[in-house]
Amino acid sequence: MIEIINTTNLTKTYGKTHAVNNVNLSVKQGEVFGFLGLNGAGKTTTIRMLLGMIAPTSGQCYLQGQKVSAGNINTWHDVGYIVETPYSYPELTVRENLEIVRRLRSIQDKGCVSWIIKKLKLEEYTSKKAKHLSLGNAQRLGIAKAIIHKPKILILDEPTNGLDPAGIVEVRQLLTDLANSSGVTILVSSHKLDEISKIATNIAIIHDGSLIKEIDREQLEGQLKKSLILDGKDRNAMKSILSKAGYQVYIENKSATGESFSIQIQNKDAVNNPDKIATLLVNAGYPPTFLKVEKEDLEMYFLRSIKEIGGELN
Amino acid sequence: MNKIITCVLIEGKKFFHSKVPFITMFALMIVPFVGGFFMFVLKDPDLAKSLGFISAKANIMGNADWASYLDLLAQAIAIGGLVVFGFVISWIFGREYSDRTIKDLLSLPISRSIIVFSKFIVAVLWCLILSILVLVLGLIVGKVVDIPDWSFGIMIQGILIFVICSILTILLSTPVAFFASVGRGYLSPIGFMVFTLVLAQIIAVTGYGEYFPWAIPALISGADGSGITMIKASSIAIVVSTSIVGLIGTMFWWRYADQY
Repeated sequence: MIEIINTTNLTKTYGKTHAVNNVNLSVKQGEVFGFLGLNGAGKTTTIRMLLGMIAPTSGQCYLQGQKVSAGNINTWHDVGYIVETPYSYPELTVRENLEIVRRLRSIQDKGCVSWIIKKLKLEEYTSKKAKHLSLGNAQRLGIAKAIIHKPKILILDEPTNGLDPAGIVEVRQLLTDLANSSGVTILVSSHKLDEISKIATNIAIIHDGSLIKEIDREQLEGQLKKSLILDGKDRNAMKSILSKAGYQVYIENKSATGESFSIQIQNKDAVNNPDKIATLLVNAGYPPTFLKVEKEDLEMYFLRSIKEIGGELN
Repeated sequence: MNKIITCVLIEGKKFFHSKVPFITMFALMIVPFVGGFFMFVLKDPDLAKSLGFISAKANIMGNADWASYLDLLAQAIAIGGLVVFGFVISWIFGREYSDRTIKDLLSLPISRSIIVFSKFIVAVLWCLILSILVLVLGLIVGKVVDIPDWSFGIMIQGILIFVICSILTILLSTPVAFFASVGRGYLSPIGFMVFTLVLAQIIAVTGYGEYFPWAIPALISGADGSGITMIKASSIAIVVSTSIVGLIGTMFWWRYADQY
């Protein structure tokens, strides 16, 4: 597949601080690339470099094979973007703000403004000044500005900020449609990892400026750990029985999905044969009252990935 | 060329939908009325005596004639214009940072230099309109007050000085755009304007005003009390150079500096 977004040894330093350190990204056509990281990890700095807003200290960014630089305006014809919270001209209406983008992007089709207003469900706010919009509608307007020219590349930094649950679902659907039906390549960063997990075909994790993971969905599925979660009347006795049988038993306050169960086993044998564990405990006189095979979600995977490299969670 | 026209129209739309045109027009439109009032007071010594304080101030303005009145208008545009024109340009550039809309202008298939240039065009056009309005309104007020000693020669000279002062003052506003861009908002350019205004007074007093760009329009207008100064080519060159440095500096900043 054609490489659409590419960075080579991308680095940005501020004094002695490496905001982004030798990041090599590769996003292919039609991929929805989830770009994850804690606050201050370097996501936005990377995105700003991809958009030519800040110059790399070293390394390069390429969009559709063209080197990104502030002066290379040809790069931006096919790019739509949101960087952090989108802002619009407060004294202008929704339609006027979109009309400005249409003209700046030299879009000949004047109907595109009405089209995008309808697509983002902004019809009832067209004559409303941007300063009077709710956070969610301001965000919709930001997304509308990003996709009004039907870009081939979308670079979105926290696109669902401020949206209500229905709005989040709409945006998710919109991004999925753009990727699936129009082949739009999307790089999206978000704190809402459950959202990313629903749409991303690929995931990259950045921590302290360095890329620590870059995997596709298939690889991710393989790397998500499974655990057998169980509970019973006498947890200590259950733990002792299972340990004696050779299982590695952990007592956790919370499971991956946040449920308050205490006993976790990650042995493959236990995860694949929960009935065997149940039989063992029943025979020992400590029948489990709860038993569930649980798969790690993206959030847990993300946090584990950071922990594995000795990173601190803020 | 089409892109410049598009950008100028867009910048114009943004500007004229704000309150800045109204505020700046209101601020400068006061000048002809105040000048006319002084002339009115100076024309009638009895009324001047009965007004006390106002007559004392009005005497500073010189005589009740067209020459003094046109000098007053030129001085007002040379000094007040620095503030008002500076305010216009600091808003046009600084608002993109303070409203955080700058991000939308950076990754477009349109050169940043064109955007910057368009902003300057809108600012210059509006400042020219303001200057013309002040002049036209000033002439109307002068006619209504019936200021004595009108002559064609006085009018031509007065208007010429006013126009030169206006243009020089407008040219001096480009560095304000640079400070608005570097300071990412309004505070730096306003600080810069106040600084240059104060410094211009000090340098003018020391006798080197003709070499300090921000003192030159005021000196030409005769604001130092010595009457209208001969316009030196070196002074014009200093102002034009300052303007070019401001323009290029702003374009370079938009083009090469990291934008957050």
